[in-house]
Amino acid sequence: MADRVRTYPGTRKPTPHQGHGKRNCVKVLERLSAYLDDELSGVICKEIRAHLGDCPNCEVFLDSLRQTVQLCRHRPSPPLSQDDRANLRRQILKAAATA
Amino acid sequence: MAARKKSRTDSHDDSDVALSTSAPFDQLYRDHVDVMYRFAYRLCGEAEAAKDLVQETFLNAYRAYDRFRGDAQISTWLYAIASHACQRMRRKRKGEPERELSLNEFVPTSEGEFALQIPMEGLSPQEALENKELRQILDRAIAKLPRKYRMVLVLRDMEGLSAKEVGGILGLNERAIKSRLHRARLFVRKELSGKELAREFHQDVATGRR
Repeated sequence: MADRVRTYPGTRKPTPHQGHGKRNCVKVLERLSAYLDDELSGVICKEIRAHLGDCPNCEVFLDSLRQTVQLCRHRPSPPLSQDDRANLRRQILKAAATA
Repeated sequence: MAARKKSRTDSHDDSDVALSTSAPFDQLYRDHVDVMYRFAYRLCGEAEAAKDLVQETFLNAYRAYDRFRGDAQISTWLYAIASHACQRMRRKRKGEPERELSLNEFVPTSEGEFALQIPMEGLSPQEALENKELRQILDRAIAKLPRKYRMVLVLRDMEGLSAKEVGGILGLNERAIKSRLHRARLFVRKELSGKELAREFHQDVATGRR
């Protein structure tokens, strides 16, 4: 994995993220679903939060991804009518009996 | 049976069904048909194909009922049967290979693209979904997803199952489920944040037509 950079004690810079080059944004974007679903360790969450605080682009991107998930969650689908429920049951039992 | 020309809309008369000893099936059907239809509709995007899928699902469940070991929740077992039936039915219809979604195609290449937003204007998801264009673009985006990504998105984000449950249903590990889910969400986000929707949404809000 390209984003797994080995660090050695004492060589790590004090800020959790290092600049806002595209590469850092890409690393964050790769993990945004896991971040939204609360699947990441505390350390990684903190790094992502620090990046988001300094990078409006990624913040906006995260918002739109969160909205996407919410829209999917709340999209209703039409119910099955009583007639269709009864007709389907009849067809299933007929097919089961003739097989 | 032919003499009994009952209306097809008479939902209470099931006596013409050959199997009279279908009590366990009836219970299964009654308890789960609505959830399975909702799932099928979300996968297929339209009513007729969804009904075909529900029929196929319960027929397979009827035949396999004796083999249901009870070590999974019955709803999870039905989701698995429906998912397999959906894969088989689609394979029959068109044999083209599925497109893989790569993360690279979702990385914005410009500031403008980065800043694209879904035009929800502080509305709740329910309020935003009252907008017809937004609903249509959401539905079209889900329908456009390659099937293996759509299945994961529907099961996780629409049906609300856990990654572990979805892994069990599709026979994949959680890592694969999470990877597909992320790509599927990125795909739908990209479609929803397009400029066309923003323009139409603003027009509708301005004219009070939602």
